[in-house]
Amino acid sequence: MAREVSESCIDSLLTEMVSSYCNRFDANKPELAGRRIEAIGYQVGHQLAERYTMERPRFSDHLEAIKFICKDFWSEVFKKQIDNLKTNHRGTFVLQDNKFRWLARMSVDPSIENVDLSQDTSALAENKATQAMGMHLYFPCGIIRGALSNLGIPCAVSADISNLPACSFVVRIKA
Amino acid sequence: MIACVAVIGHQNNPLYIQSFTEADDALKLHHIVHCSLDVVEERVNNPKKSGPTLNETFLGLLYPTENYKVYGYLTNTKVKFILVTTDLDVRDADVRNFFRRFHAAYVDAVSNPFHVPGKKITSKTFAERVSNIVKSFGLSSAG
Repeated sequence: MAREVSESCIDSLLTEMVSSYCNRFDANKPELAGRRIEAIGYQVGHQLAERYTMERPRFSDHLEAIKFICKDFWSEVFKKQIDNLKTNHRGTFVLQDNKFRWLARMSVDPSIENVDLSQDTSALAENKATQAMGMHLYFPCGIIRGALSNLGIPCAVSADISNLPACSFVVRIKA
Repeated sequence: MIACVAVIGHQNNPLYIQSFTEADDALKLHHIVHCSLDVVEERVNNPKKSGPTLNETFLGLLYPTENYKVYGYLTNTKVKFILVTTDLDVRDADVRNFFRRFHAAYVDAVSNPFHVPGKKITSKTFAERVSNIVKSFGLSSAG
């Protein structure tokens, strides 16, 4: 039975979750807020992995599990596959999504954007925007980590947004 | 008739175990389930014997005892499902179907945000659903 989820609801929920943790529960402690959001993502990924692997044979190695994340898992969650997968064959994988859905509709806080664009403040504004976006990426990072952990692959996941709107997730498998 | 079903976590911790017999033989059934875990491990480590498809979740008949047949199923997340039945002629398709529905019930149970991963499943809905699946087991072949 296919269930549908309203995309705008998910967008709003994610935005609200991030803003609640950043501005209310753990205000001024961005690291703690990030960790908490990541933990929520972890639980979600953990549960989704169980559901999405139901009808398939077990994975024989790490690459197969990562491929599953790139193809089927990503399709289920984001309706598209990961666009590019790179690996150094030593436990690090880079999953690149050229148009990451959860960042596609994000805009920068106008109060930051409207300040005089002298060199100094624009750099500051950019820095703030990157930071705000980074907060929104803890959740998807947690999802990937949770899914892989449940498949028996302990790992660390971080995100890289140096060339937007593309977004890269770096998975480092713990030996 | 199904005597006992069990869900075993990835560290061989019991998540759910339920017997469906009138007699007071729960301990014996738990023992059988416990023994089957070794067989599951053996099957996974020596994949040659595990049937036609490599790494299939359904492990088939683990071992027969005098009165019971024990079937196993291992998910991608290393959760094991064990089925102990008293029927002697069981169709493979029925068992596969049973495990598929059992797995689906398990997935729904652990997707509950109040369920703590790795802890026993205490959900009443899950218990009810499992007992319905157990009741309907083999009905298609009998009818």
